[in-house]
Amino acid sequence: MNVEVKTYRKGEIPGIIAIDGQNCRGCDACKRYCPTGAITGMFGATHRIDRDRCISCGQCLINCPFGAPYETVDTVEEVQAKLGDKRYTVAAIIAPAVRVAVGEPFGLPAGSLVTGKMYGAMRKAGFVIVDNNFAADLTIMEEGTEFIQRARHALFGEKAEHGGEIGPLPQFTSCCPAWVRFVETNYPSLIPHLSSAKSPQQMAGAVAKTYGAERIFKVDPEFIYTVGVMPCTAKKFEASRPEFQSACNFVKERGGASPGTPYPDVDTVLTTRDLARLLKRMKIDLAAENNAEGGTLFAEYTGAGTIFGNTGGVMEAALRTAYVVLTGNNLAKLEFEEVRGLRGVKSASIQLRDAKYGKDVTLKVAVVHDIRANIRPIVEDVLAGRSPYHFIEVMNCPGGCINGGGQPICDTGSSWIGRILPSFAWS
Amino acid sequence: MTDSSFILKHPMQVRVFHFILAVSFLTLAVTGIILFQKPLQEAAMNTVIQIHVVAGVVMTLDALAFLFLAFDRVVMFTKRVFTFSGNDLKWFTVLGGYPQKILLHKKVEVPPMGKYNAGQKLFGIFVLVGGTLLILSGWALWTLPHIIPHGDTSMIGTIHLYVSWILILFLLVHLFLGIYMVDDFKAMFLHGRIPYEDAAEKSPLWVKNDICKIG
Repeated sequence: MNVEVKTYRKGEIPGIIAIDGQNCRGCDACKRYCPTGAITGMFGATHRIDRDRCISCGQCLINCPFGAPYETVDTVEEVQAKLGDKRYTVAAIIAPAVRVAVGEPFGLPAGSLVTGKMYGAMRKAGFVIVDNNFAADLTIMEEGTEFIQRARHALFGEKAEHGGEIGPLPQFTSCCPAWVRFVETNYPSLIPHLSSAKSPQQMAGAVAKTYGAERIFKVDPEFIYTVGVMPCTAKKFEASRPEFQSACNFVKERGGASPGTPYPDVDTVLTTRDLARLLKRMKIDLAAENNAEGGTLFAEYTGAGTIFGNTGGVMEAALRTAYVVLTGNNLAKLEFEEVRGLRGVKSASIQLRDAKYGKDVTLKVAVVHDIRANIRPIVEDVLAGRSPYHFIEVMNCPGGCINGGGQPICDTGSSWIGRILPSFAWS
Repeated sequence: MTDSSFILKHPMQVRVFHFILAVSFLTLAVTGIILFQKPLQEAAMNTVIQIHVVAGVVMTLDALAFLFLAFDRVVMFTKRVFTFSGNDLKWFTVLGGYPQKILLHKKVEVPPMGKYNAGQKLFGIFVLVGGTLLILSGWALWTLPHIIPHGDTSMIGTIHLYVSWILILFLLVHLFLGIYMVDDFKAMFLHGRIPYEDAAEKSPLWVKNDICKIG
């Protein structure tokens, strides 16, 4: 870990994933899941991760047959200590994909939706709930509105309200931190195409330490400790990005107490696996918990926020917002089924009438996941100016966040052996 | 038959199969231990696994060729190693008389055996079952580790490892006794024939029941 890195800024965690040479068999399985070719080492030899190329997605970690990749950042003990420190309000920002996965480590069937049990367990542990679905609703209003502005600028020459620069089309989503880093390190000329909206995690952190500190929790923002609870290892990297200190800057600008050390919007991130470990350390059995409410405004959300965890979810949510804003009418049918499912690249055309300009427009959108296999042709088309799309959702992991690098590791997948083994109970 | 007669114990196809098996398995064992211990630099480890893969492919082709070209031999071998009697248990109680002979220079009474003694049968079963497991698991680990559910790949890796160690340990005994019984060693690697008196001593039931004079 002493190798100098070139693609990280001061303060950023330089690579979340490393490989344990003792466990690595050099089988090359991990290389087949890495979207950036960041795993080096010849077949048969111990593999390593080139941190400059790594986007911290963790796909190697959840797919290695021998458990060789591991996370370099583990803050479970730190979070437990903060939970025990009565000066702090510890806010859990819980991503949508976590609630259908965190039941597994507690013996519940894979895919069990445990939102109420999770709220109960986390409140028992001492967290206050800032559901990331709430922030996803904020994100989609920001991102959807930004898209409408870009589209109207491109189609009708509309200027920015405050004279600022308007980004080009197609607009790419920016929720996935692995995808954002992929663009920054592989296709930096595409950065203006990324939505300027922060991810839900970062919006949640900033909101918790500003509006939340003043109106909900009524505490000094310096004593709110925000914990992203994510299905994603790259979110640990995202939280460490130096630009994400909005709450601290906001407090400073308003003349609030100036902190000695600038504090981040999100103090730390736990993966779904980390959360299960934390609860077990605290002897809290999530499976045995009763359903509980979130307890604050931050636990209120819509179905649009909920579907962020699947490929196509962000696009579907954005289209719902765009439709309402552009046409001035509510959708008769909420679902955009063309952008659902597990095809690598999904596309759709939506015809609607822009009420402000009185003109019909056709929006062409695409949804891409598993960027290792699917993104490069899409990106090359954009760079060559021949992309037919106006808005493209990209998620790094196959299937979206639901299959993120921080989720419980499913050893057997759809294996028939995995189904038979429990029949041979042993102890 | 006279004492100066020879018996063809290992026909040509058996000797060719065994020779390729011996060379490929020894190569696999040595390279496998290196892969397990990882003592070398990256390029050398890559060369080692390439040799391991080539030797594995050679062993697979050798096994398949023997299966299809000498199917009768495979059937006979399988039948012989899976046929047991009370004599086999008795043989194990004195370990074929080898420790007494080698360590104490004493000759003890050994129950009469067929073509293969009880130890060889046990080794044969492990070679048949273990060899098949090694070939199948090796191919899975080489070609499909990213497709097979990784819990299963991990289990296949463990099977490959433990079966390898068991067969390597068996091989050490097999090599020692193979060289110790020099007539059988020469028969397997050279001409296929063993002296009649040697066969009559070590495999009396085989000589009595299965051997007939030709020519």
